[in-house]
Amino acid sequence: MAISGFEGFEKRLELNFSGDDPVIGIGLRQLDFESLEEVLHAVQCTVVSAVGNQYFDSYVLSESSLFVYPTKIIIKTCGTTQLLKSIRPLILLACDHLGLSLCGCRYTRGSFIFPKAQPYPHTSFREEVIFLEENLPSHVCYRKASVMPSSSSHHLWHVFSASDESHMAVQHSPDDMLFTIEVCMTELDRVLARKFFRRLDDGKNGDTAGKEMTEITGINNINSNATICDFAFDPCGYSMNGIDGDRYSTIHVTPEDGFSYASFECVGYVYDDHDDIVEVLKKVVKVFRPATMSVSTTCISSEVLNRVTKMIQPQGMKCRSCTMDDFPAARSVAFQTFTSRRK
Amino acid sequence: MAEEGQVIGCHTEEAWSEQLQKGNDCNKLIVVDFTASWCGPCRFIAPFLAELAKKLPNVTFLKVDVDELKSVATDWAVEAMPTFMFLKEGKIVDKVVGAKKEELQQKIAKHVSTASA
Repeated sequence: MAISGFEGFEKRLELNFSGDDPVIGIGLRQLDFESLEEVLHAVQCTVVSAVGNQYFDSYVLSESSLFVYPTKIIIKTCGTTQLLKSIRPLILLACDHLGLSLCGCRYTRGSFIFPKAQPYPHTSFREEVIFLEENLPSHVCYRKASVMPSSSSHHLWHVFSASDESHMAVQHSPDDMLFTIEVCMTELDRVLARKFFRRLDDGKNGDTAGKEMTEITGINNINSNATICDFAFDPCGYSMNGIDGDRYSTIHVTPEDGFSYASFECVGYVYDDHDDIVEVLKKVVKVFRPATMSVSTTCISSEVLNRVTKMIQPQGMKCRSCTMDDFPAARSVAFQTFTSRRK
Repeated sequence: MAEEGQVIGCHTEEAWSEQLQKGNDCNKLIVVDFTASWCGPCRFIAPFLAELAKKLPNVTFLKVDVDELKSVATDWAVEAMPTFMFLKEGKIVDKVVGAKKEELQQKIAKHVSTASA
């Protein structure tokens, strides 16, 4: 392994709010761009491209992605960004400017390849949890932090989840019917990873080079219904956000040998045909052919979680471990790891 | 009328048809920005588009709010915002979906040069 390189593993933060006016219903999407830019500045990244539809806004960032729904914000950043520094300004903007109230928070990440390169508060999971605890309002009082193990001490899944008492309500919101799948892949196939490098002086811009990568790698076939916003970095690296109705998907690639990494994330509904997600993951594996892969699924129903995790059996890969844990807001998380049979 | 060097908002179907007609008559490249007030990425690109309009007086920049001119947005199958349509002689010659500064700029340059060729 390289001594140092770009950290592909992302940190992911999801904040859920309540109190949006159902008549206007655009909530967080009202935030002016300058405010968002300030938050991103604190995290140390910028917007490279963006697209929205009637349900949500999606931004490709210099370091990963941002999704803004009327009452939900998801921000995912890689490298040495300081993601958790966005918490306080985001809550301030949502609460003071828009009159929303924070009702849930979820922070997740895998194990960094270069943990020593991470700045405060990401120096350790312990530090991150302390930072989260200090920056969340006191009414979001049902909290739990957990490190989910796998068969390898290098692949752990870190989860912090917090919720107010609203999750006790009998009535579930439509969002409760969602499940989220976060896939982390390492040691990508070298030939496939080369496709995420740009040719020297290719004369293209990041948008067109990104579009080309989306096509030649087969990423455009993962969900052919999605509108894709893609970007290729110079000299290498790739990001894309897919928007399909109210669902997002996102891919980020760090292709350099020695610390190659790719992530895929998408959402589904518990009433979906679960074959679809299995098909999607098959296509994702084909794009990267990683030596190791982890799949983290978050869902309100442990029954659905059980069913989905049983079905996830990426082609040519062998399941090495599967652990589950329960979190506030009645969410369950499953963490599965796989290694390629060629290993 | 304030026109050259600005992004022209079309707030009625009449204004929209009139602008299209005008663009066609003088054989200029028209770039239409389909936008929505509630769309964050549209606000992100708006200042950039205004800059382009200032720099490129030989291109007509139109702006259509998809809620204001619903029928136009439906007819043109606009689903994601912002969507930029490139028109020449009444025909759609290109399209950019999303707030992609570099691609937008490059496509404008490409179609302007073919227009003057």
